[in-house]
Amino acid sequence: MMDHSRELTAEAPRAWDRPVVSVPVLICLSLVGGQLPSFSAQANLYTLGTGGALIWLGLNNRVPRRPAPRRLTPGAVWWLLPVTVFGVFEGATFVLSVGDDFPTFSRLADPLLEDHLVRSTAWFAWLAAFWGLVRR
Amino acid sequence: MMRALAIGGFLTAILLFAGVEWASRREDSRVPSLGDVCAFVMRYAVGPVPVGRIGLFGFWWWLGWHFLAR
Repeated sequence: MMDHSRELTAEAPRAWDRPVVSVPVLICLSLVGGQLPSFSAQANLYTLGTGGALIWLGLNNRVPRRPAPRRLTPGAVWWLLPVTVFGVFEGATFVLSVGDDFPTFSRLADPLLEDHLVRSTAWFAWLAAFWGLVRR
Repeated sequence: MMRALAIGGFLTAILLFAGVEWASRREDSRVPSLGDVCAFVMRYAVGPVPVGRIGLFGFWWWLGWHFLAR
């Protein structure tokens, strides 16, 4: 009976759970976030607040979730390739810690994120992916 | 020289992420999408505690804070 009611919920998404609502909301949140400078109290509070709200939504059953696969196909090992390449370079740059001569990913991204448009775009990517995780 | 190596390495990783995701979206692909991998990880629970879900949310929260707040 419980499973049946869940299926009905998934087939009839709530009004606020449609892209026509969620995308503009995420864009507005991203535009606000993009205006907040690094290392500011506002940026910290805004990140903690938006992330905390999404985690709260993701840990209770208020948002309908897409069904998750019960097992992964062997092709999933392909994901180890980009993860390993990224991990090797991030690990090497972090351990050697020689600054701009061999920069970490964060150090490379920081100057780009000073631009408000790039920062807002990064905010949108982070929030959209977070919203996607909440609904999985 | 070392700076170019780091930039090249990170760009390669990003292109590989995009490439594997593209491969996963082809018809009859045997590679699961990144979303499916995440969803599978989030299924992991110890008793009533959704450890996978909490872990992935926590990681993503930290990532946003790391890049966007500091």
